[in-house]
Amino acid sequence: MYRPLNLQEIKTLELRGCSSENWSSIEVRDPFCAGRLRNVKFAGNVQLGSNDGFTYFNEYISKPSGITNCFVKNCIIGDNVFLSDIKVLANYRIGNYAFIENVGNLALFGKTAFGNGHEINILNESGGRELVIFDKLSSQIAYLLVVYRHNPELINKLKLLISEYVTSRLSTTGTIGEYTIIQNSQQIINTEIGSFCKITGVLKLQEGTVKSNKSAPVFIGEGVTAENFIILSGSKIDGGAILTSTFVGQGVQIGKQFSADNSAFFSNCEAYHGEACSIFAGPYTVTHHKSTLLIAGMFSFYNAGSGTNQSNHMYKLGPVHHGIVERGSKTGSFSYMLWPSRVGAFTVVMDKHTGNFDSSGFPFSYISVENGKSVLTPAMNLFTVGTARDSKKWPARDQRTDVEKTDLIDYNIFNPCTIQKMITAARLLEHLYRTTSDNREFIYHKGLYINRLMLRTSKRLYELAINLYLCGEIVKKLEQQKLNKIEEVKEILRPLKNVHHSSCWVDIGGMIALRDNLNDLTESVITGKTDTIEKLDEEFRNIHSGCEKYSYSWSINTLQEVMGIDINTLTKTTLTELVSTWNNSTIKFNKMVLKDAEKEFDQMSRIAYGPDGDENEKQADFESVRGKYESNSFIAGIQKELQNTEERYNELLKRIEKLPG
Amino acid sequence: MEKVAIKNSVKKVVAKVLKIAETEIADNANYIFALGADSMQRMLLIAAVEEEFNIEMDVEKAQEVQTIDGAVDFISNYL
Repeated sequence: MYRPLNLQEIKTLELRGCSSENWSSIEVRDPFCAGRLRNVKFAGNVQLGSNDGFTYFNEYISKPSGITNCFVKNCIIGDNVFLSDIKVLANYRIGNYAFIENVGNLALFGKTAFGNGHEINILNESGGRELVIFDKLSSQIAYLLVVYRHNPELINKLKLLISEYVTSRLSTTGTIGEYTIIQNSQQIINTEIGSFCKITGVLKLQEGTVKSNKSAPVFIGEGVTAENFIILSGSKIDGGAILTSTFVGQGVQIGKQFSADNSAFFSNCEAYHGEACSIFAGPYTVTHHKSTLLIAGMFSFYNAGSGTNQSNHMYKLGPVHHGIVERGSKTGSFSYMLWPSRVGAFTVVMDKHTGNFDSSGFPFSYISVENGKSVLTPAMNLFTVGTARDSKKWPARDQRTDVEKTDLIDYNIFNPCTIQKMITAARLLEHLYRTTSDNREFIYHKGLYINRLMLRTSKRLYELAINLYLCGEIVKKLEQQKLNKIEEVKEILRPLKNVHHSSCWVDIGGMIALRDNLNDLTESVITGKTDTIEKLDEEFRNIHSGCEKYSYSWSINTLQEVMGIDINTLTKTTLTELVSTWNNSTIKFNKMVLKDAEKEFDQMSRIAYGPDGDENEKQADFESVRGKYESNSFIAGIQKELQNTEERYNELLKRIEKLPG
Repeated sequence: MEKVAIKNSVKKVVAKVLKIAETEIADNANYIFALGADSMQRMLLIAAVEEEFNIEMDVEKAQEVQTIDGAVDFISNYL
């Protein structure tokens, strides 16, 4: 394939200002045009690909392939590559059709694993939960490494698996993938860059991997500095972002001067303007505003309001504390939390909380401050239009275009994890109601005050969601099957034997799983059965794909526990009741969401419209900008869902009625 | 229970939850626009009314009630 330069080519090269320590160390591949090189200084062994074609900068601009004004040492240059004005290009393999122009140093010094194997201090800023980053890291593997410190055997085994992979990545040569464009950048040192990547105007990329590919290219833009990092496919880092010891998963967007230190951002995170320090940003963690500091926290499906802030030390033994904000939660503008604290799933936190609290047992709540006290209003966020809208928007905003998705994500807001919490919460609220004196205004629970009046109401709201979900599981199952005889229906509905009501569900970095399944996986790692990263990934995928059947079985067993429904003694009447409960709960739920949505169109929402006009102009201005309640697409969607529910209900009732007996 | 008595009790509950004087509450006062109840306070009002009258209301329908007079009519259905 490669051949030495001939004398005519050497002469041509020298005439064009090129030089080499030793021309015999330079090899080329035909068709090779020496006339397409100018002012190139070669050192060490260099292989040059064919260069008679054009290199494409974009669909409009292409330049003749070749090398101009470069120092090239120990490199393998692919076919039809365009290299221009590179101060030092050393120890790299450049892929076909790469376009590299105006770069300071693009070099590999010594030996490196390109950021793979670098440890970052997640959650506990002073260490103790080090996350080893590598380019196959998923939010699930990261969860185990960061959270399962109670299981040192597992941690050691996981680190061993990762170190084996990291060793395989060690190299003295870096790669720039095919069709990658690098332009106007200063330092790219010890960094592996995949194909179809676009890098423009970066200040420094050092010790890192950019896993770009054709289906999910990576963009790294102006003023970016990144050291000890991994950036996975489909991500965009721009606007002077500063990443230090940071992992960036798939489809992530970081920019507008955001800085991140010792942090991991998994799929579809968005981080602008603010700062992150030692955070585990699970899938869909979003922070868009200035003055927002996320520190020492674990988040997912999270939205940070402007000025959101937390403290991870209490001015005693240093920054040793951390917090957990469970999936789907939001923090209001200038909210503050003192770590350690734990926020339950789908909860809205407002105001400044200067005491530690734990609301993990009360998902879908509001946490606010009243007279200096942190007040929990359980279930208050269940029926808000924001929660309902979030559940629909996340799947639609999946930015991952890579065929291989690293993180496994469950989107449903109602899932065994949240339902299990609600069942426990409903029981606790009932207990608190029965055991609290009428003359008490608040009950203190895990650092939070609950208004006594809310105990019964919140319990009923939770029960509505529980009924909707559990009976909904039955409805879905029945809808998929032919219903001939009640005995056959019992068989159709029969759950798996190994999933019990008491089985615990966990949310591991955006994926819902049975704790038993996770225990099996960790055991498999410890015993050495799962002995590669690929096998570990496969195990997680198996759990993920089995989640639906486990969820169903758990739901059926839970129905028995919560509502006393036994599949073995099921009758047409109980079936009808279950389906009716689902119908009523779904309708009630959606109507409450619609009621909440009305507020977005009420008198208060119109305050700033038509500021210099009369009432008619105010209304016209509002309707022109916001539209009418009836025609809003989200409202229309819910209304359609209500109609579908009614139709599904009637259809299923007819089928149940036809059952003999 | 007489509507007047219901109204007096409702006003008492509203005054307590919203921390305002009963005398400030007009019969046709709107919870949100006239009395300034936020969404959490509205939920608290429903809970307080339930306790006051020892009833369990349909939360979804109760949320539709906007005024003191409306509340009196709504509560009457449960008594």
